[in-house]
Order: sequence, then structure tokens, then C-alpha cells
Amino acid sequence: MYRGLLRTARQCAFSLHQTGALPPKCDNAALPVFRLGRSVGIHPFNTSSTSYCENKENAPAPPQLKDKEDAQKDSASLAAPTDQAKVEITAECEGTNLPDNVPPPPQAKYKEDAHKDSDSLATPTDQVKVEMAAECEGTNLPEQGETLLKTPLKTEEENQQKTEERQPRVKTGKESLLDLLVAMKVDVTTSKKRSKGTKIPARHEPTVTPKPAAMESTHSMFQKATVEASIQSDAQPSVASLSPELVAAASAAAASLPDPSRAESELLQQLRQHEAEPEDHKRGEANNIGNIIADMKVGRPAPRQHARSSNTIHFDEDGRGYKKSLFERKRLGIFNPATDEESTDAAIAGPNLWDTEFANLLVRTANHMPRNGFEEMIQWTRDGRLWQYPIDNEIGLEEEAAVAFHEHIFLDRHLEEGFPRQGPVRHFMELVVAGLSRNHHLSVRQKTEHIDWYRTYFQEKEDVLKEAAAFLN
Amino acid sequence: MVSPSHNAPGLSKNMAASGRHAGHYINKNSRSLLNHLDKLLGQRGFALSSVLRQQTATLQNDSTEAIVIPRKKTWGKEAVLEALASTVNRDPTAYHYQFQDDPYLSPRTSAESKLYSMSQESGRAAAKYFVDMYPKYFTKDFAEPHIPCLMPASVALSLEEVSEEALKERIGLRKVGAAVEMYDQLVQAGTPISKQMTYDLLDLICFYGDREPAQEGEPEADQTEASAEELRRKRGRFHRASDTLRGVWRENNNAERLFRLLPEREARCYSAVIRGMVKHGAFAKAFDMYTDMLNNRLTADVDIFNALILAVPEMREAYTEKVDFITDLLNQMSQQKVQPNLQTFNNVLKVLRRCGALAKSISLQTLSEMKALGIAPSLASFNHLLAIFYKGGSAADYPTDILQELLSEIETISFTCQDPEDVWFFSSAMKICLETKDMKLGYKVHSLVGVGDNWRLLGDSYQQGMFYYRFFSLLCLMEHVDVVLKWYHQLMPSLYYPNPQGMRDLLQALDTESRLELLPSIWKDVKTLGHDNKSDLVEELLSLMAREKHSPEVQESFADCALDIKAAFDVDRRKPSLEWSPLALGHVTTLLLRAGRIPQAWEMMQLFKSKNRIPSEALLEDFLSQCSGAPTTAVELVKLSAAFCLPATPQLAQRVLLEFDLTEDQRTTLSELESSWDHNE
Repeated sequence: MYRGLLRTARQCAFSLHQTGALPPKCDNAALPVFRLGRSVGIHPFNTSSTSYCENKENAPAPPQLKDKEDAQKDSASLAAPTDQAKVEITAECEGTNLPDNVPPPPQAKYKEDAHKDSDSLATPTDQVKVEMAAECEGTNLPEQGETLLKTPLKTEEENQQKTEERQPRVKTGKESLLDLLVAMKVDVTTSKKRSKGTKIPARHEPTVTPKPAAMESTHSMFQKATVEASIQSDAQPSVASLSPELVAAASAAAASLPDPSRAESELLQQLRQHEAEPEDHKRGEANNIGNIIADMKVGRPAPRQHARSSNTIHFDEDGRGYKKSLFERKRLGIFNPATDEESTDAAIAGPNLWDTEFANLLVRTANHMPRNGFEEMIQWTRDGRLWQYPIDNEIGLEEEAAVAFHEHIFLDRHLEEGFPRQGPVRHFMELVVAGLSRNHHLSVRQKTEHIDWYRTYFQEKEDVLKEAAAFLN
Repeated sequence: MVSPSHNAPGLSKNMAASGRHAGHYINKNSRSLLNHLDKLLGQRGFALSSVLRQQTATLQNDSTEAIVIPRKKTWGKEAVLEALASTVNRDPTAYHYQFQDDPYLSPRTSAESKLYSMSQESGRAAAKYFVDMYPKYFTKDFAEPHIPCLMPASVALSLEEVSEEALKERIGLRKVGAAVEMYDQLVQAGTPISKQMTYDLLDLICFYGDREPAQEGEPEADQTEASAEELRRKRGRFHRASDTLRGVWRENNNAERLFRLLPEREARCYSAVIRGMVKHGAFAKAFDMYTDMLNNRLTADVDIFNALILAVPEMREAYTEKVDFITDLLNQMSQQKVQPNLQTFNNVLKVLRRCGALAKSISLQTLSEMKALGIAPSLASFNHLLAIFYKGGSAADYPTDILQELLSEIETISFTCQDPEDVWFFSSAMKICLETKDMKLGYKVHSLVGVGDNWRLLGDSYQQGMFYYRFFSLLCLMEHVDVVLKWYHQLMPSLYYPNPQGMRDLLQALDTESRLELLPSIWKDVKTLGHDNKSDLVEELLSLMAREKHSPEVQESFADCALDIKAAFDVDRRKPSLEWSPLALGHVTTLLLRAGRIPQAWEMMQLFKSKNRIPSEALLEDFLSQCSGAPTTAVELVKLSAAFCLPATPQLAQRVLLEFDLTEDQRTTLSELESSWDHNE
């Protein structure tokens, strides 16, 4: 049954694509139609999806910049509520349109309001819509068509995989619809990837799950890196560790590729990803494969949802404009206030070149031109060019501050050694000491050096002095 | 960077405290004195005691407080000077302090002021260069205590041998090439190099992108840098970001080589390399490096994230993708338990500027996040916010809500420079005020500049000029002309040198309020400002003066002014001189005629001839009606007209023949002129 339904959905999409009823660029209105068609097609209880899709086909493609909500209204009105799924979708459309119709904010003319408002409800069905909106924004149409065309290639086996788990849960309404949609999306990406041919990770990891494959399909490596990093940290990276054999194998495989280092890091990431998975299984709730896939999707849609849901709150709360103070609005909610432990960490490291250069840049940026003579004097004081106020004539004599005055004045004790106790030399030295004790230009060290110089001088000249008998007498 | 201005309030508090102290003292003493007096004087001392009683009554409420002996305060070395500086107000009639030197040198135009400040700077730089380059001539140290900043700094390498010490010296002197060479020699010799040293070297290479830094001390380098900066400014703000990333990160440069050689790579090494890559434009590589780092089980530090966030717009095209990417990076930050800092959020806001309308709500959330984390936004954050909300031209769609709200939040805050882009806030805020023509907000922004040390964040002379130009234009647009003139005199020589556009705004303001009699004084300012060679400005001034007739006194002053303007045309200076246009000639002549200055007006008519310009008919008519008593001049005028082959010649000749008392000769010449014209016809 699924196969048939999906095929109709695909045909519908294909015909839409072929007839060129849609503008070549991403069309705000037409894409949700696509998505709706698909979601309806997937639903197990939907029997009238074909007609529904045909309805869609006839729907006129609105001008490119028309509000998205219009399209949603269109789809809601076009869809005859014949089955459960469609009723749900209509309800959902109505639900999301509601905030728009109630007091229209002055900024309502902006296109993104439609995006914002579609997030206002936190029910799982909204997630579907968010997905749709996101798809409308980002991807362009031909890609969409391609992915849709590829869908059936893979869906058969995937569906078989999922029938067991879907059967018991099938009656949970919205939840199951959400799960299936999420799963559906993953399948699409998986099939896309596999159609390109097998990739290296498949060789290393026999138990390939859709998870890594989905990661692979993201078109940029960096996005992948970030997504995986987030998942990886979800799964507590400390737990996962690679065995050396695996790493060696990965690097060997990478060596055969044109860009070895990049490939290697990719492979390693993949491997760690797979290692992290058993952890998921251990957690218990992960035995449901659909849940794993749903878990996985968290990486990408979450920020988008986040971005817009806060938007909605901003508009819902204040009705019109911004009543609250600038800083008291809804915040990002990503960080927690710092604890002191981390801040000390950085302080220990000390400033490096980057820090000093940044500080220099700041100093250069700000205007430090003095506005008057006093400010100029402040600058000079900071440079150390000016006597500090209040005037203190002991500035710069920090070394001397530790020296008591008696060391300056009572220098006789330095004459105890190396000088005769009496006689002309002694007399001379006493005069020298008396002079030194009055000299305020010299430090104590310089004074003792002075005395030492005389000591060695007289010792050297001892012979001459003795000859002249002047040494003692 | 940060001036401890809190000293000034501290001072006043202290003074207040001592005042209170004194109050306590008086209170206590008076009570004891009162008791004594009561005892001694009994009933007789009523007069005196009543006075004291009054005193106690006034101080009663104070006595309940416990006496707090203020702690001894140690003053900063600048405290006295700061207190003194706070007493000096700006003198609106004087030039900026920087230019107060020889009055002959005082700059009167913005170009001159720029020249002045630049030559001041370059003089300092040259002196520093010589002191540093030839330290052997500057060995005498006169100062005691020693003043390090006056002594030559060592800029040349002194250690020649291969050692870690020499490497350290090379790193300290920012000699990138020499440091790398030394490192290689050390590695080849097998000398162990400390980890710290290696990291410092890596920092150095990454910071300068494996290139020698521009020598700041060298005057010529300075000049080229300055002119490059000039160019950048002229090209506008949008090119700035890309210009700062001029440097190119070369494939396999020394930084990458050194990084690969490292036995163990810590987060710090990754941080240096990633920041270097982002700084020098290798964005994709930076993200590769980040992935590599995560694979090595390291957690990034805040600097890495700051750099990566800046690189986001280069990695993604669509707005939503950019926003997602940023959110993702922030989530990773919080998962890795990295605390963001001001720079993180400023970078986020900066990147959001390139995310279109999507950025609006997220930027507000970012601001709230900062608040929640206790990180005070800097002016740069607000500047980014404003840029997000006021995209060029769409100001009409968004009333000034955000700016209004913002200003009411930060009205009294004194900011310090925390981000190099802080200095853009004021001029862009004023730009919004000008675009939305919101005078109240303009005043608010202007008063915010006056709070604390905020004036320091006005930026360089260019940004400052833009700020005041916008403020002044706003005033001219919105305010009564008296208020405009008040501000004009307050700002004019000391802070702001109006550009020709600013002067034109002022002229328009005068025009709308019909205060044209002030035009001559404006002309004087125009002349001082060096705008007397801007022909469109001069012509506008002339046409305003010549448009209507005024009272005789005003006409008299206008005529003087017109002669002055004429002199400005004639003066041959090094500046490109003005070219007489027929309109300007006509206006000057009209003004002279209205003041009854026939001879000068006649000179003007001669000028028409010598400059090959043709006077208008109305002017000739006016001239004729003015020179009623001078038939010779009238005849000459007709001759002149005939020489220009003006079609009005016959009418003029007829009019002269009718109205003037002419000699026979003159009559014949006139008739000849008239007939010859007819003949020509």
C-alpha cells in the first residue's frame, strides 16, 4: 500500500516538476504544497492522496514573494477533509494562521512573519511545518524534484524495515505522523547518497545504520562536522574512544584518496559516530530505529526552530512593538552564567601576543588626545615623565626606603677593618667618612664602595707608606 | 585605555564625609557646651543657649547615626590632576588644545587640522625612530628617577649565537623571519626548546600570517599606512572588513609547518593557528583545523570560537544558513563548557549584520543573552544592533524605536573602549537620527557623548567630523535658526570644521527663517574655513544675497560682502581658484547696484567682457535704472551691450535716448548703435 501511495505522490511531484508549473526558483507557495503532498502520501491511512495531490497540481503558483501563509491557506481550502491526515493538516494550517489573524502587528507585512508565526505552537505537528518552511527557504526547486524522484528507490526497503514498528504506533496520530515525516526525510537523503555509490565508511563498518549516511549527505563537510560535533557531544564524547586498529585502517584507506588528511578526519569522525551509537542503544529508548533517526535529526532543524520560535514569542508577547526593556527580552538560552572556576583558568595562562596586540589596538582606537593641560600632564604622569602629585621628593628612591638613616651617617664602623687604628691614614679616613656621612647624593652601597676603594688603595700602597713611616704614626 | 575617573566622585564623597564628621563634632561639642552654659549662666544665658539649642535641633537627626571614621585613602598618582582637569571646561571659541601652539599655526580648516595633527605625530615618530635606531648617541640619562620611555628601546638584534635566548629576543622584537630561522637552526642542532617558547613563536607567525610586520617606528611606513587608512575610509565602511583581511594565508606556510612538527598539540596551538587562518582569510582551512581538533579530543577555547564566528559569513551564502551556523557554533561552545566573552557576542552581532532581516530578532536575543550572562555590551554591540535594524533606506519602515530604547538604557553610562569598533557607534547613531529627522534623539546622542569619557569613543578626526556634520545638518533641518547658530558657534572652531555641505545646510536654514542679513558673517566663516574656493557654495551664497531687495543697511553690508567675494575670485593662490560664472558676476553686480555703488558695478561690467561672459538683459536694465544721473555710463553700457551683440541693445539704446540727458555726440553714437543693430538684423 505504501508503495502505491508513495508512487502517486512521486508522480504528482514529478508531473509538477515536468510541467514547469512552478517557477524555477524556490517558490514560497509551491513548496509547502509539495511537502503537504508528500506528507499526505506517506500517511498510512490516507487513501485519497492522489486526488489531493491532483488538487495541488491545479493550484495556481502564486507570485514569488507572496506570503507563505497564503499558500497554506490555499492548501487548507483545497484539501477536502476526507480523511484523518488531511483533517490534521488543515487544522494545523488553521492553527498556525490564527496568530496572524488576531491582532496584526505593524510589522506583519514582512515576509518572515509567516515563518515566525508558524512556530508559535509547540505541538509536534508544527515541526512538520517548520521543516517545510525551512525547505522552502533553502533548497531550490530542481533539487527538490530530484530528491523526490529518488525517494521511491529507497523507500521500499525502508518501509519494510519500518512496518513492524509503525504498525503498533500507527494510531498515535500526530506523533506518528511526525516520526514518519522525519524518517521520510532521512530516507530521502540516504537514497541520494547511496545512488552515488558506496563510500568508504561502509567497508569499515558492517552495521551501517541510516545515521552516518544521513550525515554524509549534507553537502558541506563543515556543516557535517558541526552537526556531528553536536551529536557527538550529546553522546558524551568521553565515553567513545577508537581502537588503534580502526584508526590505522582509516588512515590507510584515507591514504588512497586524493585528499588524505581530510578524508582521514572524516573517517575518524564516522567511526567515532558509530562507536557512540551503541551508547544510544544502551539507553533503552533507542531500540526503536525510528527514534534513532528522529534523534539524529535534532542536529539540523533545532537551531532553525529555535530561531523562529523565539521570534514568535517576541511578537506574541508584545503584541505590537517592543514594550519591554531592551535587555529583558527572550534570550538565546544557550549559555549558563559563568562559574568562577573557568575564569581562573584563562587568567593563569597570562597574556600572549594576541592579547597584547588586541589591547594595543584598543588603545589606538580610542581618542587619547588631551583636551587641556591637565590631561596632558596626566598622560605624562602615566608615561613616568612627570613628578607625581602630590609632590613627594622620595619618589624613585624605593631602594633607599629600606635603609635606615644611621647607616648613612655612622660610617665609622666601616673603618674597623683594614685601616690602621691611628696615624695620618686613619685621620684621613675619618675625614672621608665625615664627608660621606653628609653626602646625600650617594647611596649607602656607594658609600661603602668608596671606603672599600680607599681600603684597597692603602693596602696596595702599604710599602710606600711604611717607607715614609706614615702608616702608623 | 581606562582612566580611573571614579576618583573624582570618591573625592566628593570623602569631602562630604568629612563634612558630616565636622557636623558630628559640632553637635557633640555644642551639647556639652550647652550643659556647661546652662550650669554656669542659669537663666541669664538664655540668648546664647537658644542659639545653641537651635543648632542641636538642626543636627538632631544626624546624631542617631554611628560615627564612621573614614578609612585612610591612598590617592592615585593622577588623582590631583584628574580633579584639576575636571574643572576645565571646553572653550568654544578656542581651537582644540592639541593645536594650541603658535597662533600662526592654528589650523583653520579641516585639512589644515589634519595636516597639523599628522605632522605632530610624524614628528614624534621620527624622533622615536632616530632614538631607537641610534642608541649610541642617546646614552646620557639625565633623569632621576630614571624615565624609561625617554630612553632608546632596543630594536636591533643583539644576540647572534644560536640559542633559545636569541629566539626569545627575536620573538620579542617581532622578527618573524629571523625567529623562524633561529627555531629551525635550534631544531637542527637538537637543542630542546621549551613549550612556552614554541607556542610564542607559533603565535607570532600566525598573528602576522608568516610575514614581517609593518615597522611602526619607521616614519615612511607610518605615512603609507595613514594614507591607506584614508583610502579605506573614503571607500566607506562596508569595505573595511574585507580590507582588514588583506593578508593571505599561504599554503604550507611556516605556521602550518611548525604546527605539524609539534610533538603534542594543545588547544592553544590550535587556537593560534585557527585565529591566524581567520585573520588572514583562510576560512575553510580554519574550519578544517577545528574539525581536526575535535577529532583529537580537545576542547576549543573562547578565542577559537570568536574567530570561527567571524568566519561564518564566508562559509555560507543564505541568511538562514548563516544564522543556523552561528547558533550551532554557540551551542558547541556551551557543550564544550566554554564561557563566551564580549568579543564573542560582538562577533555574533557583527556577523548577523550580514544576515538580512532574519537577524533582527536574533540580535535582540543575543543582547538579552549578554545581559543574562552579566556581560555588559560595548558600544560596538549597539552599533551592530543599529546596523541590523536600520538597513540603508529602510529607516522609514522602522521608527527609531530601537535607538530610542537603547539611548534610554545607556543614557548615563560612561563607556570604555572594549572593541575596536566601538568608535563607530556615535556617528552611525547620529546618522540614523539624521535619516529619521529626529531632533530629540539627536540631542540625546549628543549628550551621551558628553557623559564621562565617552567623547574618547568618537573616533578619529574623520569619524568625529562625520558625527558633528550629521548633528549639525540635523540641527539645520529641524531647529530654529537661533538655536542652530548657538550650536554653530559652540561647535565651530573648537570641535568641528564644517564642510561645504554643512555650510550649505546652514545657508538653507537661514533662508527658511529669512535671516539673510547674517550672510556676510557666514561668508567670513566660509573664508576662514577655506571653502571660499568652492564655486557652488559661493554661488549659492551670492544668489541668496541677490535674490531679494533688503533694507539699505543690509544692502550696504551685502555690497561689502560682494566686494570681498570678488576679491576671493581675483586672488591668485596655490589653491585652485574660482572661475567667474555669468550668474556670479551678475549677482555681484546686482548687489553693488543695489547699494548704489555705480563705479564698482561698472568695473564688474568690464569683468564680463574680460572673462567672456554675457550679462543678462535684466541686469542691464537694472543698471540703467540705477545710473540715472550718469549719461556717460549709460552710453558706455549700451556700447558694451552692442559689443556682446545682445538682442536687447536697441531697446536699451532707445531707453537711454528717451530717459537721459545726452550730448549730441552721445545721441549719434546711440542712434548708430541702434541702426547698426537693425541693419545687422
